[in-house]
Amino acid sequence: MERRDFFKKSLTAAAALAAADTLNGATTRQPIDNRKISSIAFPEKRPLITYSDRPPLLESPRETFSKAITPNDEFFVRWHMPEIPTMIDPETYTIHINGLVKQELHISLNALKTDYEQVEITAVLQCGGNSRSAFQPTAGGIQWGNGAMGCAKWKGVRLRDILNRAGLNKEAAWIGFNGMDNAAYYETPNFVRELHLDELDDHVILAYEMNGEDLPYLNGYPVRLIIPGYYSDSWVKMISNITVTSEYQKLFFMDVAYRVPDNDCECETPDNKFKPTKPITNMNVKSVIGYPTSNTVVYSNSHVVVRGVAFDDGHGIRDVLVSTDGGKSWAPSLLDKDAGRYAFRAFRFSFKPNKIGRVTIMAKAINRLGNEQPFAQDIKWNHGGYKYNGIDSVTIEVI
Amino acid sequence: MKKALFSVMIFAAAAWAQVSEPIEVPYIPYEIKTGKGFDAVQGNCLTCHSFGYIINQGPQSHEFWNEKVVKMIKAFKAPITDTDAATITEYLFTYYGNGQEK
Repeated sequence: MERRDFFKKSLTAAAALAAADTLNGATTRQPIDNRKISSIAFPEKRPLITYSDRPPLLESPRETFSKAITPNDEFFVRWHMPEIPTMIDPETYTIHINGLVKQELHISLNALKTDYEQVEITAVLQCGGNSRSAFQPTAGGIQWGNGAMGCAKWKGVRLRDILNRAGLNKEAAWIGFNGMDNAAYYETPNFVRELHLDELDDHVILAYEMNGEDLPYLNGYPVRLIIPGYYSDSWVKMISNITVTSEYQKLFFMDVAYRVPDNDCECETPDNKFKPTKPITNMNVKSVIGYPTSNTVVYSNSHVVVRGVAFDDGHGIRDVLVSTDGGKSWAPSLLDKDAGRYAFRAFRFSFKPNKIGRVTIMAKAINRLGNEQPFAQDIKWNHGGYKYNGIDSVTIEVI
Repeated sequence: MKKALFSVMIFAAAAWAQVSEPIEVPYIPYEIKTGKGFDAVQGNCLTCHSFGYIINQGPQSHEFWNEKVVKMIKAFKAPITDTDAATITEYLFTYYGNGQEK
């Protein structure tokens, strides 16, 4: 009864999709911006852009990205399975380590927090399909804007320390991660991810704290995997089981989903899809403007401070250039202090618009390898709409 | 003083878990178009995901929607009959299609 009343009060939160072009060729443009924020808040969250309630899919609005740390209640949410535990008892929660180990471990939350060295790392969590709505023709999957990402300070225990405590057998090569989320049907494959032991470094942790608080339920309470530099498809939430194997296990979410063409441009055309494919793994260099948002109105000759965040897969950001003439000329922004090579690097840029009318502001990040973001229209298409990192753009009005 | 200390301890215990009761994920009534084949969509798709998951894929080709329905059956093991699968594909293309076969 109570729930029904709640439904009645609920307002429709369907996101309006812009009418898509139906071009034969594949092109890219700016991702859809300024989608409507739902009037309904999810647990421990403020109202966000809401694509689905089952499984929950929530996007942060552009304004979120004027800060180097994404607050927990603004942090995006992406689950694959509909059945998520809505109650976890921290007293009895246990993470099982098994497979090709010398000694199986059953680690309680309390043991995780007290029996191992505690470490912290600030790292960006970004969905591989973030900004997917930039791709034309429409790529398969949720049509995210730029907000399927966030940066938090994660606290937990090195995965390597846990595996060392268990002791790996000689043949150990792959580590499989499974969380507590379940499908509606027993036969549906679980959202299990695998990492090769070679991919494991000391930055990979099992985190129980996010920005000094418990992880929110919707971000994987009580413990999730953190793999700095990697897209979030492998950052398994509500982690309950870690299994070591010698052979790679064939899994739907490894072999079919979250893959791009295995060629230099990681691109293909809708009529000629490329095989073979490879996992999306490392993030490319990207920046997003948090302020101003499109259609912001400012007075001519007033002081405008553009703010945003930039990141890559851990090489670090060297520069963020800003253009206030639609990409014709560029000037360096001020970079805030470095919170670590996997973190958002906040940038700001002051200018005084002196021309009346619409002004397009762009941001372009360059990492320490010298890789820079391409213009949106220069990004090549892939069928899953993964890894978009086009130069961000907002258009304001000067009066 | 003793009493104050006691209440601080209670607070600390409660604060250990940010949420100590079951959370409730709200239901969002996504507006989906009704029409021929909608019953099959309602009867099959909602078991695993919301209408939001469908309509937020954007307008897609006939082939795309067919592949999605096949994926639900083959990869995710949804027990959808052949008849319903064909009906759902036609519904999705009619109401959430881009007019293109491929």
